[in-house]
Amino acid sequence: MLNEVDSFADIFRGGLPYCLLVALPILILVSPSMASDFQVMSMTKFDVNGEQFGSRSSAISLEAKSLYTWSTGRHCVLARLLDISVNDLNKIRQKAGGLIIMLPKDVTALNDEVKEHVLMLEQQMLSQAIPVPVYFAPFNPKLEEILKDVTHTAIDNNVENKTAFGQMLLLVSANGYHVTVDGQNSAANKNSKIPVIQGEFVPNQFVAKHMDNSGDGNSLPLILITASLKTFGIINDYPLNADSAVTMALVEIFSKLHSMISMSPKYRLGFLLSDSGLLLNFQGSKKWLEIDDNSVLQNVEFVLCLDTITQSLGGNQPNVLYMHVSKPPKEKTSISNFFKILKSVSAQHGGNLTVEGVHKKINLADSKLSWEHERFSMKRFPAFTLSSVKNPSSPLRTTMFKDDESQIVTQLITSAKIIAESLACYMYKIDPQSDVFDGHVAINENNILPYLGLRSILQNNDIKDGFEKYLKNVKIVYDKPDAREPDFMFYNGVDAKLNVYRVKPAIFDLFLTFVITIYLSTIYFAIQFFPRFYDLVSAKLNLSMRSSNGNAQNAMKRK
Amino acid sequence: MTLYHFGNCVALLMPYYFTYKYSGLSEYGAFWKCVQAGCIYIFTQLCKMLVLATFFYSDNSSNSGEFNFFAEILRCSVDMADLLGFALILSRIPGKGHSKLITAGLGWATAEVILSRGIMLWVGARGTEFSWIYIQKCLESNVLLVQHLTTATLIWLFTRHDLNKALKPLVSILLAVTIFKGVWLEGLLHILSIGPWSAIAFKALVAGIIGFCSLNIYAGLAQQIGI
Repeated sequence: MLNEVDSFADIFRGGLPYCLLVALPILILVSPSMASDFQVMSMTKFDVNGEQFGSRSSAISLEAKSLYTWSTGRHCVLARLLDISVNDLNKIRQKAGGLIIMLPKDVTALNDEVKEHVLMLEQQMLSQAIPVPVYFAPFNPKLEEILKDVTHTAIDNNVENKTAFGQMLLLVSANGYHVTVDGQNSAANKNSKIPVIQGEFVPNQFVAKHMDNSGDGNSLPLILITASLKTFGIINDYPLNADSAVTMALVEIFSKLHSMISMSPKYRLGFLLSDSGLLLNFQGSKKWLEIDDNSVLQNVEFVLCLDTITQSLGGNQPNVLYMHVSKPPKEKTSISNFFKILKSVSAQHGGNLTVEGVHKKINLADSKLSWEHERFSMKRFPAFTLSSVKNPSSPLRTTMFKDDESQIVTQLITSAKIIAESLACYMYKIDPQSDVFDGHVAINENNILPYLGLRSILQNNDIKDGFEKYLKNVKIVYDKPDAREPDFMFYNGVDAKLNVYRVKPAIFDLFLTFVITIYLSTIYFAIQFFPRFYDLVSAKLNLSMRSSNGNAQNAMKRK
Repeated sequence: MTLYHFGNCVALLMPYYFTYKYSGLSEYGAFWKCVQAGCIYIFTQLCKMLVLATFFYSDNSSNSGEFNFFAEILRCSVDMADLLGFALILSRIPGKGHSKLITAGLGWATAEVILSRGIMLWVGARGTEFSWIYIQKCLESNVLLVQHLTTATLIWLFTRHDLNKALKPLVSILLAVTIFKGVWLEGLLHILSIGPWSAIAFKALVAGIIGFCSLNIYAGLAQQIGI
């Protein structure tokens, strides 16, 4: 025994400690990477008017459970989007440790009822703060399998009529999953800003000169078209930006009209595009309206806001274009005139599309506005919103999910055509029955398609270039939150990696230790008995050898 | 899974210690001899790697899942070097009787376990992801211990001149069987598509049979020369 100690000590006398000094940190650093990992998108988070929305904290390292088995804050719920009900969501929001949602493979393939459910859930998630981290994973067959396994085990374990032994076996053999998401804690982005871009068509020189006689060029009445570019929905990605696409298409085709001298209107046509939609409470327009020396806002004829001009995910959307106003327009006002023109134009060109007026008073007590035109109406500008949704709280206004693009584009062309024709009729005082946008100024998908993938001004220059190409007086204003009382705040969110590890419960390892102990004691006794076994073998050999030797000797003797 | 699981896996390697402790090696102070045997193992493996890398064409990447019979034969023929390594250990390291063989086999097997399984166990079994493969590998190491002890015995028998002439071919055949185990045993398991657990049991059975044959021959010779 002492000898042994000596030889062990010998090892440490040599260079081994130094080797260990190098080797141990390396060994500790080497981390296992056998797990299946998935790319996940974190849910958006943002503040508006001091209210928090979206999910806050981000890193997860918890046991994965199904929608039906989770119970404590130490469980992370793993579920399909379609399985979650609003009730579940509220419970998870309050008590679970995290939520990982797998998105459906193909949203367009779902039936209308399910689509509606998805939209409802999405809106529910967007309309409140979720204190637990929420992540979205795109459909993945591997994750689907894990999901199935998690749910399946749960169902199996729930079977009550089992013997105690069976239940214990289940407990030991149960497969568990451990999920980790390496998300960083999202810090508020101090550089949060909302860009607002404006531009207008200036009547060309001939008319300008003509107008000079009568006074200032700015005194021409202004028709302002506004839309918002949605830069995020439930995740940090661009939803369908149909409104901005239509706005850009209008800019493009009206520039064609204005290039003709004979077509100089008696109106200025202005465009305003901001990066803030319903979710951001139309902060962009608010900021733009608050600019002190806003010379553009003199002599406003009316403001036309576009909002959800086509529904991105509606199975059988009604072919109605709603004109939302804050107060019923009086006869002979600009809005009522335009409404009439819009109605007759849609009857002429819109196929089965009809126009309806909707009146909703501004609720000043509500911190969030329902429509963008309310921002303008509050400043006493005549304004209205054109939208395909009737109810201001429709989930379609903020959804991330979108239908097949070709279907959307055909609808967009119809809408753009109607709006453009009505505007032209209004501006040039021509008969609504005439067809202005035909021939070389016809609106087709080439006017719409390139603008469907618009990106924010902060990201690339597409919008800026487009505005500068066609419009004059292009100005970009950035709305930055106040340092002390921010109206809005964005957060840095990076797409995270989800790791799912297959794990066994702690009791399994204890059980394994027990089995190994039995095995080792068997080996121990086998080794202890080995000399006896050896003796047995050699004794048998001895016997047989002796007998064979004896036989040989007998044979010799016989010889 | 956790450090505890790693501990479980390491506990499965306890038979190595038992062999050292209860075979009488500890009483002879054969620890350094075992280390030396391990060093010779490392040397042999390095030589093998050199040969494999220099002369053999490797196309493992193209058919990773498949069992390539020809490539396996080539690879096993290089394993002949293992036998030379054993012979070197037996000729260089002094020892008496049974302990000499156990020293050679145990030193060889221990070095192999540490070098080929150590990193994998440390990295894998300690990780969060659970997999049976670590337990399986550790159990397989136990089988390998028996096999290496057998190989050491067979080599020793092969080098003895006083071995019964009739037994010489049997020893050679057993050696060949041990060396080309990579071909026939793995091939058989592959063809029968046996699961990992039964494969280990099967390997243990084969190692046991070869071991029992060798033990019989060895016991005979040992009695003859009186050790």
